[in-house]
Amino acid sequence: MTRIRGGLIDRGTSLSFTFDGKTYSGHPGDTLASALLANGVRLMGRSFKYHRPRGVFAAGSEEPNAMVELREGARREPNTRATVAELYEGLVAKSQNRVGPLSCDVLAVNDVLSPFFAAGFYYKTFMWPRAFWEKLYEPVIRRAAGLGQLSMQADPDDYDSGFLHCDLLVIGGGAAGLAAALTTGRAGARVVLADEDFRLGGRLLSERDPLGGIPAVDWIAGLEAELDSLPNVRILRRTTVFGAYDHGIYGAVARVADHLKTPGAQVRQSLWRITAKRTVLAAGATERHIPFADNDRPGIMLAGAMRSYANRWAVTPQAHAADPVAIFTNNDDGHRTALDLMAQEVPVLGVIDTRSDAPKLGDYTLFPDATVTGSKGRLGLTQIQITRAGQSTWVDCAALGVSGGWNPNVHLASHHRGRPVWDAATQSFLPGPGGPEGMHVAGAAAGRGQTGLALADGAKAAVAALAQIGMSASLPELPAPEATADTLTPCWHVPSKKRAWVDFQNDVTVKDIALAHQENMRPVEHLKRWTTLGMATDQGKTANVTALAVMAELSGKSIPETGTTIFRPPYTGVAISALGGGDSGDSFRPRRLTPTHSWAATRGAVFTEVGAWMRAQYYPQTGETHWRQTVDREAKAVRAGVGLCDVTTLGKIDVQGADATTFLNRVYANMMGTLRVGRVRYGLMLREDGFLYDDGTCARLAEDHYVVTTTTGNAGLVYRNLEFARQCLWPELDVHLISTTDAWAQIAVAGPNARSLLSRIVDDFDLSNDAFPFMACSTLTICNGLRARLFRISFSGELAYELAVPARYGNAVMQRLAEQGADLGVTPYGIEALSVLRIEKGHAAGAELNGQTTADMSGLGMMVSRKKDSIGVVMSRRDGLAQDSRRMVGLQPVEPTHTVTPGAHLFAQGDPQDMAHDQGWITSACYSPHVGSSIGLGFLLQGDNRMGEIVIAANPLAGETTQLRIVPSHFVDPEGERLRA
Amino acid sequence: MLIPHPLLGLRDAEEFVYLGDASLMQRPDPDSPTALTDFCDYVFLRDNPAGVHRELWFHEQGDRSWLVVTRNTLTHEILGAELATDAARPTVTQEPSA
Amino acid sequence: MPDLTPLTALGHDQPQSVTYGNLTMGDCPDLALASLALRRDAPVPLPFGLDLPGPGGYVASAEVAAIWTGPRQWMIEAKAKGCTDFAAQVKAQAPDAIVTEQTDGWAAFDITSPDGAAIGRLLEKLVNIDPGTVSPGTASRTSLHHMNVLLVRPDPCCLRIWVGRSFAGSLWHAVIGAAGRQAA
Repeated sequence: MTRIRGGLIDRGTSLSFTFDGKTYSGHPGDTLASALLANGVRLMGRSFKYHRPRGVFAAGSEEPNAMVELREGARREPNTRATVAELYEGLVAKSQNRVGPLSCDVLAVNDVLSPFFAAGFYYKTFMWPRAFWEKLYEPVIRRAAGLGQLSMQADPDDYDSGFLHCDLLVIGGGAAGLAAALTTGRAGARVVLADEDFRLGGRLLSERDPLGGIPAVDWIAGLEAELDSLPNVRILRRTTVFGAYDHGIYGAVARVADHLKTPGAQVRQSLWRITAKRTVLAAGATERHIPFADNDRPGIMLAGAMRSYANRWAVTPQAHAADPVAIFTNNDDGHRTALDLMAQEVPVLGVIDTRSDAPKLGDYTLFPDATVTGSKGRLGLTQIQITRAGQSTWVDCAALGVSGGWNPNVHLASHHRGRPVWDAATQSFLPGPGGPEGMHVAGAAAGRGQTGLALADGAKAAVAALAQIGMSASLPELPAPEATADTLTPCWHVPSKKRAWVDFQNDVTVKDIALAHQENMRPVEHLKRWTTLGMATDQGKTANVTALAVMAELSGKSIPETGTTIFRPPYTGVAISALGGGDSGDSFRPRRLTPTHSWAATRGAVFTEVGAWMRAQYYPQTGETHWRQTVDREAKAVRAGVGLCDVTTLGKIDVQGADATTFLNRVYANMMGTLRVGRVRYGLMLREDGFLYDDGTCARLAEDHYVVTTTTGNAGLVYRNLEFARQCLWPELDVHLISTTDAWAQIAVAGPNARSLLSRIVDDFDLSNDAFPFMACSTLTICNGLRARLFRISFSGELAYELAVPARYGNAVMQRLAEQGADLGVTPYGIEALSVLRIEKGHAAGAELNGQTTADMSGLGMMVSRKKDSIGVVMSRRDGLAQDSRRMVGLQPVEPTHTVTPGAHLFAQGDPQDMAHDQGWITSACYSPHVGSSIGLGFLLQGDNRMGEIVIAANPLAGETTQLRIVPSHFVDPEGERLRA
Repeated sequence: MLIPHPLLGLRDAEEFVYLGDASLMQRPDPDSPTALTDFCDYVFLRDNPAGVHRELWFHEQGDRSWLVVTRNTLTHEILGAELATDAARPTVTQEPSA
Repeated sequence: MPDLTPLTALGHDQPQSVTYGNLTMGDCPDLALASLALRRDAPVPLPFGLDLPGPGGYVASAEVAAIWTGPRQWMIEAKAKGCTDFAAQVKAQAPDAIVTEQTDGWAAFDITSPDGAAIGRLLEKLVNIDPGTVSPGTASRTSLHHMNVLLVRPDPCCLRIWVGRSFAGSLWHAVIGAAGRQAA
């Protein structure tokens, strides 16, 4: 055990957990990483490419090494950083990217073969033979060089999403962030404070310095209590703001229940979309390391992380308390780690400082002007080599803290391509211009990381941000600890013939960067893609700036000349489930139910999705073993008796106003101005480019009142286009539009007995052919006074009506019709039979109106009026469209048992079946119980002049060809006698 | 993005459907002798500037207004928004002063 | 009266009600709705004495309310008239206006709580509208789980959500799901 005294852990409670099957114990307040270290476990994983043994390197979300598979079964989550996994009772974790036990990974052979795996190896080696990549190379490489593995099971947990609005969003709950939130909170402005940690305080939690004369944690607790008491302050703990988007919109993910074994009734994570008038980015800084030979052994970590483990989690990084620890640094902050460790009675063998003028801040051995040039220890550090003035010495060392300075966390400030700017004074990139609108950067993220500076900076940033939105705030009294010495002399890496890792997660070494330089992959963008530097889960948080500096050195250029590195969202990985926001399965998207859904369900309907709608597809009856039996029965029943189908889903748009007629004349290609009150007309809508895009009916209920219907799929689009025409093209017209799709349940009553059936429910309404002929419409009442609308229109080709009633009565009316029609052979039919009936009648529908066909092609060219302007009419006359000779035809197999396959293309007999000889295609097909064979509709070159001809339908996907006879598209009642009966 | 709706203030862009270049409001005269060419240009040829762009947005999840939004396509800065019905009204052309 | 039994948008013969913590959710099939739009240059009517509100506004009397839905366009909402021809009644009040029946075009859901702040927290999980602006006297039309909704606040303890009737089941699922999680 390497627990020391102090720390922000609850020693009164023990939590038991397992890692690779072995049981350990930790405390509330621990992360998995701190608890493993406390149990003397330093080896936590294997590296990506070389399978090198790796231990924990950092103490926060920047961790490149210690990634584990957390939890079991369906909840298993790969690539979880042990440094941010909050410990809970019963936690189960496994190391990943290994074959065999972690201490004896078979794929460690890759390390021996490392000369073959240098940067660019894959690109050069696996180029050919080309076919080998997909079948052989890629699967093998992915198996060997992977991170964790998915459970391959559905995620059992719930997620949700939400929206927050505030005056100021504060990102980061360290010194600067807390000061900003306090300033804003006291000013009465609405503030959201988000921090990724489970405890507020940021870096303050890792330091020993008191604040305002009391321990920092007590000072934080006092401030937190005040913030909690303010109704205008919202604190989001365990919440990572992962992305900055336009106009002050930020994405954040809250890990609501990740610290629990299972979420219970809570969601596991919440996705927040935060709209903030202003933002203070107080994301802190990430320490960088100094690459040296063999610098990747477990036990070597960032000096600041070592300090965090000692101060916050009361653990030391070596396996045995008596083992010596050393610090390797180029700056004063490294020395502070040595002092803090010594205060905890950890044996510090010395501080190796690259600077010749290195200060000695305490009672430890100082090695000035010295470097670490090597390390030993197969599964954990045992020795380091210290080199000074050409003299190298191996010394026993169980843990080494490395500090190369601190990089401000500029990530969110660069999400809008704001390029960080090199600051020579701090030897780091600071947030530059072009950052997200309204963002103020404060504290360590702005290069002002010392506690006193950061506190003051956060408060000032909040005051400035609020002033921009016209709110005044005053600076609170904050502790002002004295600034400590904080100098740094750059040292970007220790040259060596051996491998010195820059990016641990992607196994990129100084040599790989040299190779990239040699291959002329020098711009940082090329460097990244050639070496994979900065990719994967950590996105190079501990590596990018160092790599850039190494490249600068190799190029003989300065760092700013070499380039800069910017970041994209997300700051840390976000689970797809969280981005989904919780809607999955049946609630993946909203569903629209028809007014007769309940009735259809009790009749055993099979439902299918049509856009957002759930529609009855067919109504199987006892004894029917195949859907075709059901559909054939339904279609025949309509032609022989009467059928009922819910057609509510067709879009309905109420068009009213003095200029309604003029308006409709302009949006329909055919003449609508001559439509009389009480009549319905079929209408075609074109796009302005001249192609057909929707069809439907237009009913004139009164002088200045029309109801337009659209296809189900285009209801929203047609409405939008009509509003475009009304508002943008002809705002001078007095016309109003409103959707009434949901208001009216609409039921098709179709078949020779339709009139008889309807006559049983209408109140004193003359349904005779003379009084209410084909294409008539009227308002009326039914069933003793229910207001209704009746349209005599037919999609099936039979005598048919569509009856509309207020939606709440739709179910009851459907039921009443079904009861009343029992002796008339009444049959409910679904959209499969609806489709069969319309193909038999040769009505164009969605498959024909696919946006690439014209009115001429559909045989409706005569409808397009040349006497008036309408949308699309001018372009419909252009040569390319007007001269297209493809026409809609009916198709029937020469051999009646053969099938017509939609999607198949049509060729003349004897022609080669290639693009050059393509004559058309089949749009719709079905088995027609009326014809007694498969039938289809399609577009064919000169189709209208080729009746009786035999063509070949080719379906190359199935290697099939079928002989089809060209027939008129009306398979039933070509004269239209039935629908006028 | 947030769209400054002239009647409703800042509204999230997710409430809107984007159409594109506001020149779509200038539908050519169908009776002109050059109508076919004019419509061809109107339908197929539009500017796609890197910079300030006047464009049409439909407040589909809101008040169903079409807006003309002036937006910098490089920075997404929004310089203004007006109701299309206002933008579409013919402007009174001033006689040039002598 | 027709001899037919109407169904609520949720497919029942009676309104539903669910309580989680201090939030109670239920549908309101008795509310009637009709749209009212003004013809060009027509004077603004005062249907049922209501002073039609401006953009984003909602005004209510004891029995009737007006919701701004767009330029020169409102919804008129009335209590206890769900099964009547409410559009005809509105038309009688504003004979020159364009009136369209909308009672069954939309379905209303009331979310009530003695704690108005609890309604605000629920709103955070449902719509991208600042809950502070969904206050009595305002009407907001926006999207809720990709569904178009109209939000009004008859009083601080009640939020009313109008949604296209066919979406009622999905809206109910979204609302009670969020309320259940809030109470958890």
